[in-house]
Amino acid sequence: MTLLKAENVTKSFGGFQALKGASLSVNTGEIVGLIGPNGAGKSTFFNCLVGDMTPSSGKILFSQEEVSLKSAEYHAKLGIGRTFQLPATFEELTLLENVMVGAFLRHPHVKDARQKAMEVLELTGMGEQINLKAKTLGTPGRKRLEIARVLATEPKMMLLDEALAGLTPVEVQSAITLVKKIHQTGITLVIVEHIMEVIIHLTQRVLVLNQGEVIATGAPKEVVNDPLVIQAYLGASYARTAALGAKPA
Amino acid sequence: MGETTRLDGESALNKVIEKILWCVLALFFLLFPLSFNNPYYEQLGSLVLLAAISASAWNLIGGYAGQVSVGNVVFFGAGAYLPLLIYKLWGLSPLYGFPVGMLISVLIAVLIGIPTLRLSGHYFSMATIAVAELIRILVSNWDFVGASVGLTGPAVAKNWSDLVFKSSVPYYYMFLSVLVLILVTTYLIDHSRFGYYLRAIKAGERAARSLGVPVSRYKLYVFMISAAFTSLAGSLYAVKFGFIDPSSGFGLLISVNMIIVAALGGAGRLLGPLLGAVILIPLQAETNSIFGGRGTGLTYILYGAIIVLIARYEPGGLLRLWDLFVDKYLSARSTK
Amino acid sequence: MMVLLQVIVAGLLIGSVYALFSSGLTLVWGMMNVINFAHGEFVMLGMYVAFWGLTVFHLGVIGFGFAAAVLLFILGVLVYFLLIKSVMRGPMLAQILSTFGLLLVLRYSAFMAFGSDFVGLPEDILGPSYNVGGILLSAPKVVAGVTALVITLGLHFMLTKTMLGSRILAVAENRNAAMLMGIRPDRMQAIAWGISGASAGLAGALIATFYPVSATVGESLGLIAFVVVTFGGFGSVPGAMLAGLIIGLIESLSAFYFGPVYQDVFVYALFVLVLWVRPHGLMGKAP
Repeated sequence: MTLLKAENVTKSFGGFQALKGASLSVNTGEIVGLIGPNGAGKSTFFNCLVGDMTPSSGKILFSQEEVSLKSAEYHAKLGIGRTFQLPATFEELTLLENVMVGAFLRHPHVKDARQKAMEVLELTGMGEQINLKAKTLGTPGRKRLEIARVLATEPKMMLLDEALAGLTPVEVQSAITLVKKIHQTGITLVIVEHIMEVIIHLTQRVLVLNQGEVIATGAPKEVVNDPLVIQAYLGASYARTAALGAKPA
Repeated sequence: MGETTRLDGESALNKVIEKILWCVLALFFLLFPLSFNNPYYEQLGSLVLLAAISASAWNLIGGYAGQVSVGNVVFFGAGAYLPLLIYKLWGLSPLYGFPVGMLISVLIAVLIGIPTLRLSGHYFSMATIAVAELIRILVSNWDFVGASVGLTGPAVAKNWSDLVFKSSVPYYYMFLSVLVLILVTTYLIDHSRFGYYLRAIKAGERAARSLGVPVSRYKLYVFMISAAFTSLAGSLYAVKFGFIDPSSGFGLLISVNMIIVAALGGAGRLLGPLLGAVILIPLQAETNSIFGGRGTGLTYILYGAIIVLIARYEPGGLLRLWDLFVDKYLSARSTK
Repeated sequence: MMVLLQVIVAGLLIGSVYALFSSGLTLVWGMMNVINFAHGEFVMLGMYVAFWGLTVFHLGVIGFGFAAAVLLFILGVLVYFLLIKSVMRGPMLAQILSTFGLLLVLRYSAFMAFGSDFVGLPEDILGPSYNVGGILLSAPKVVAGVTALVITLGLHFMLTKTMLGSRILAVAENRNAAMLMGIRPDRMQAIAWGISGASAGLAGALIATFYPVSATVGESLGLIAFVVVTFGGFGSVPGAMLAGLIIGLIESLSAFYFGPVYQDVFVYALFVLVLWVRPHGLMGKAP
């Protein structure tokens, strides 16, 4: 069943067209990856999908409901959660308070929200630090906190924006485990990433964006070897070399 | 690094100390009028409470929600003018003016808030100054409300509802009740979902939105509440002093006072404004008496400098400095 | 008809001065997302520099204009390094409070130093009024207006056509990207603050030739600057130019039809209207 559907989404900033018509379809329970070189329009597309930006044209539907022009708050209420590329935790608030803000979406009473928040923090392995202020965490901690915060909103779908960027290999493993755990609870995932191993490991299907358009889609292993995709990342001559069978260095 | 979780024994002791301090504070303010044989203290008590009320009202929008209103004076002025206006027009008790002032203030808050609170904070701040100045100029030139001369209240009381009391004591307790009211309101807000959402808004609007927080709406609500209480403060001022004019009702400096009183004590903290008032109002009285008229200029240079220093070094004000000090002291203790 | 034309011309002339001091403010706002609430006070200080330049040092307009620009440039840079640089990255409350506190310090220092009285430069400092085709033009206003226009255009030219200008705009556009290209954002931001100060100072010096100087003049001038930058658009210097002219025009026309007392009211009301209807102004990026 299609949970999220984007049809021909475009977005222009003044004279510059960041998105030239991107489409996407995510079924319930899937993990879909969104990749592409820098400047491909991934962030723009991402922001349109989560309601942080309004598309210039095109349609976005969540559970058959049109949400193209709806606010980010509305998206959250419907069950679309997102994390930020540069962590946007509430620095001066404690971990518990951060997650409570998320929990309040479904639990308006302080006691219930607090309980839910504590459960989520336990689940994500931060149960010991609930009274620390978010600003005392390092980047991996902040990313984990963001994920916990979104989880507390009981989303149907989570969109993760480079949640694993800047993590050490050990931290990446731990993050992958967390993401898998989340997926098992039934949450559909869309993941924007640069790290190819993560994409191959985690996702079932990948979309590749380049210069505002989707240039390839399919299973991760296929997509990664698609000459068009290689060309997008590394340039045409490199793609020709790869196609001739020479192994890329 | 990080805040230490306090040992259980210590936290129980802290709670008891806290309760004792609250009782002492409450007693102090309740019994303060006993010092009223001295007219200096009489005046001071009321002024401190009034400043604490306005600053606490500002604290809601500026301290908790982080939206810096530089024009809250417009609500103060509306609240101050209405009681006296109603008395002047219809000879009715100024008390009727209290709710009318609040209503008008809330309306103004909505008019300013709806377009600007959905934009970045600077627009809101600029808009508040512009509207406050706009209204000040209009009022200064409107004969109906006394133009630049202003309005005066009842000279002699026909009955108690004229709110003209010979002694300062009734005024003091009126002010104290309103202060308690706003502090209780602030406390309740802070400990509810509303309060958490406000702090999230202050800490990061974009992230708050992504979690379903209705950011613009909540900013508007808290602005409306702030407006209503500021209006109350203005009404109280008008009935105590029996006089209002464009500069005492709508002058920019009144907004400045609200901000600095809250910021010095601790913006975003329940008792920050009260602390600020207790420190600054007597100080202001001193500099005024030493320097006379020119003292106003000096006071505001000082205020400006204090605001700059607070902004630059410790936006959390004195209460935050106190917290940092306590943490240092406590963690030193627990390592022994 | 002639009188109306005169009012229009006068409005455009003063509007061009508004454009001058507002362009510095919008540049800084666009670059650092910081609004200088003390901007009006920079203009006020420029006015006092003009007054002193004339009365104490016997400088001519060019002399004191230049002095005002230089001194206020320095002040702008100082304010950046001592204050803005630290609060920029912090909470909004601190940012707004910092320049607001600065407003108080500057305004009331001037108030203490010079008293609450107005002082004026001699009216005939730049020559008498001229009658040009039936329109009465006061020389100071013409000089002020034309100079402001030239300088503002010059600023726009500098920003868009020179190396330095493109560096400044690069930092405004995307600080991180600019750093990666070897541009030092710190330096560019300091220069922007300097330019902001200089344009305010020069505008003040020009205004002083036909308007009384006092410590509190920054209040209304500062608000006019906010209106102009909002109307013109966040970060847009051409927007500020256009908006300045329009605001000057509106002010002049409303003073003519409704009396000088209400001219500020119209400007502030326009401000609120713009916020309601089109907050990103004429040429700004959407907020």
